[in-house]
Amino acid sequence: MIEFRGVTKIFGSDDTRVTAVNDLTLTIPSGAFWALMGPSGSGKSTVLHLIAGLTPPTSGSVLVEGADVTRMNSAQAAALRRRRIGYVLQAFNLLPFLTAAENVGMPLVLDGIKQAEVDARVDDALAMVNMSHRASHHPTQLSGGEQQRIAIARALVIKPAIVLADEPTGNLDRAGGRAVMDLIQDLNEKTGVTILLVTHDPVFAAFAERVLRLVDGTLVHDTPLGAQEALA
Amino acid sequence: MRHARGIHYALLGVVAQNPDGVHGYALKRQCDRILGHFWQLNFGEVYRILDRLSENGLVEEVLADNVSSRKVFRITDRGRQSLDTFILEPPTDAPRPLRQELAVKLLFAGPRQVPELVRLIDAQRDTYMRQLHLLSAQRRKITKLPIDSFVTGLLIDGAELSVRAELAWLEDVGMKLKERFLTPPAMRTGA
Repeated sequence: MIEFRGVTKIFGSDDTRVTAVNDLTLTIPSGAFWALMGPSGSGKSTVLHLIAGLTPPTSGSVLVEGADVTRMNSAQAAALRRRRIGYVLQAFNLLPFLTAAENVGMPLVLDGIKQAEVDARVDDALAMVNMSHRASHHPTQLSGGEQQRIAIARALVIKPAIVLADEPTGNLDRAGGRAVMDLIQDLNEKTGVTILLVTHDPVFAAFAERVLRLVDGTLVHDTPLGAQEALA
Repeated sequence: MRHARGIHYALLGVVAQNPDGVHGYALKRQCDRILGHFWQLNFGEVYRILDRLSENGLVEEVLADNVSSRKVFRITDRGRQSLDTFILEPPTDAPRPLRQELAVKLLFAGPRQVPELVRLIDAQRDTYMRQLHLLSAQRRKITKLPIDSFVTGLLIDGAELSVRAELAWLEDVGMKLKERFLTPPAMRTGA
């Protein structure tokens, strides 16, 4: 579960003051798949950064699985990100000199996990995104869609409670974007991981069970859509 | 006409759930149970639609095995085919009347109506988002069916693109309304 309690985030000061998030109170239940939409600069990405402890709020608190991220020091926040939160971005950010499998295993290696366990979990994560056959390829040998699947596997390898996906389809064509969204939806249904998706694309936002609309850092609208499984 | 078409297929669908056939009275009761939330039909309408479906060869009368003179209807192969096609058709036209309503309100909008218009835009956006949600569920459904879903996939693509365009238009309307009525004249960009 993710909780925002009266969270405000202001960047800059005086003339350059920008309120990115304005008194946001919100509870996202565990296992939810929600989408955040809104114009550029509406504060969507800042919401994700606040959850991941990448930026502290100006006021208010953010709780992730009951733990107050805003009270953590940077080492504690880093540990939370490494162990509980998977991050997927528009840019895939894969290390070009490593294979797909090595990229996926990187968060575990950084966390000091033994190689045998790293290998086993990487195999599982690659299988989850149907990329086992690309394990030994380097990023440049993969299509955009495949690179994003590897990036998703890297997010999943830590067995996160939460996946934050910031425009994960932004660099993909429609078919590639849809395949990534199908994957994200499957993961939510099969593993129960909480997903918070930031997107400009209403077609992809509509995969979610709830769409929140943010304007100038304020939650202005909420569209419940329901679980797709119930419809299909 | 759109509603008329929808209700014809709704009734055909209910007939299809009765492989041994169904008479008008039972059909009306089943319709109330299944469709009551969307449509309320009286007996006259049920029989009128049944006659029409029968004329079009989508249902046929079967001989009742009792002495009752009630007509019993059953779906034909042609009816089943027609129903299948209808089920897989994306409901592309459903939200249009709302947009027309919005257009009329826009004509007479002043600053005082802006909150109401914004509310209407939000409601319209919800309608479209729900439609996209249904389309995406429908796409998942057809990929699991053992049928060639090529054309249905194309229809869903088309419906998604048109809903996306409508949503982009709503976004634009919302922004321009606020700029026209809620921004001080000196700060307007294009006025």
